[in-house]
Amino acid sequence: MQIALQNTFAELLGDPNPVAGAIRDALRANGATIEPVAPVPDILLVSMPLLPVAGYDPSTLLGAARSTGDAMFARGSGRIIFLVSAAAGMPMRRHPEFSVAMAGVVTTVRTLAMQLGPKVLVNAVGVGAVGEPLVAGDAAMLAHASVKRPGSVAEITDTVLFFCDPLNTYTTGQMLSVDGGWSAGYARSF
Amino acid sequence: MRVDLKGRVALVTGAAGTIGCAIIRRLSDNGASVVVADINREGAEAAAAELPDAIASVIDISSKDSAERGVAEAIARFGRIDILVNNAGVNSFVHRVNIDAFPLAEWERITRIDLDGLYLMSQAALQPMLKQGDGGRIINIASVVGLAAMRLQSPFVAAKAGIIHMTRSMALELGPQGILTNAIAPGSIMSEGTRSLFYGADGKFAGRTAEFMEHLPLGRPGTADEIAESVLFLSSPSASYINGQILAVDGGWTAGYMM
Repeated sequence: MQIALQNTFAELLGDPNPVAGAIRDALRANGATIEPVAPVPDILLVSMPLLPVAGYDPSTLLGAARSTGDAMFARGSGRIIFLVSAAAGMPMRRHPEFSVAMAGVVTTVRTLAMQLGPKVLVNAVGVGAVGEPLVAGDAAMLAHASVKRPGSVAEITDTVLFFCDPLNTYTTGQMLSVDGGWSAGYARSF
Repeated sequence: MRVDLKGRVALVTGAAGTIGCAIIRRLSDNGASVVVADINREGAEAAAAELPDAIASVIDISSKDSAERGVAEAIARFGRIDILVNNAGVNSFVHRVNIDAFPLAEWERITRIDLDGLYLMSQAALQPMLKQGDGGRIINIASVVGLAAMRLQSPFVAAKAGIIHMTRSMALELGPQGILTNAIAPGSIMSEGTRSLFYGADGKFAGRTAEFMEHLPLGRPGTADEIAESVLFLSSPSASYINGQILAVDGGWTAGYMM
């Protein structure tokens, strides 16, 4: 997958997990400049922890994202993509605090989309169980993922690129989960 | 976005309409062979003639026989189907009335095409797709009214909500065979119907267009090309771990309450 990001500046905020690192590489490979050479980036990736962690508080990171979003709005354009756990849309019993934190992030995505539109598009990628060993999600997700395997890091990075795509211009306030069908429903047979 | 769909065969229903035409062009531009399916023979033939590797197929998706004949034509020409885009659908532009007055015949016409038709078309296309044994993609074109109900179009709302949950069910059933099913929920898209209803001088709701647009963070109707870009992504090798998802391409309509 290729998108045209020449003359585009991107900034990465937040958790430096392997998925975020791969996204940085993918943005570069498609022409974006990552170095902070522009005071306000064209693309902001906000990276949350993708392995469940209790007690995570995203408020500081969300504040930073909002500040950059306001600057993008003042300039007149921008894309913000949040990298969150798919638990944002399907809370997990064994990870209650993490699920609540991620759901709060997605509500922030939707709120920012309303506040920063039409100039800035704000979306989220919901990440399921990814990698062997896992770099995102929980092994329990695999029991209900109808695609009977963990996802790859590349499958996440391409979805982030989709939200950066200059031709993808009418989607905002959405979370697209990349989880092999984990959040689609109850996959076990009876 | 550029993706590699060389060697892939896509069957797109409702392909002679505004959104369908945009979808077939985008898939074709990225290398796919295309079955241009529509109930409108002239429209399908004209659209297919503009693509380098396409056939027109007259399919009435509300007919099991017609859906099966269309799939047979696709197999005869291309030997396989990799991507099914269930785009065909109708709404009522005349009977904009509450449920207590909604005519039964119009209810049956809309649900027969929008919901039953998607089932019939999917079932027909899945026969070769499952035999091929190497996966595939189904992209269902739903609507934001399947996520957030609207007044005065109850059969369309019900059918689109049905498509959304059917998408999830199909994802669970077909995922183990590598066939990924997702849906796109377009918002207000500038097509022939919406242009007439909302934006035409004699449109029934023309005077309320500006009021409606205030509910959209992006403040404008979408274009068919913007829907096609999302169809292209979900059809591509890049979307190989996305299954059972509903992507609203709606200018932020369903993000929250704007007022």
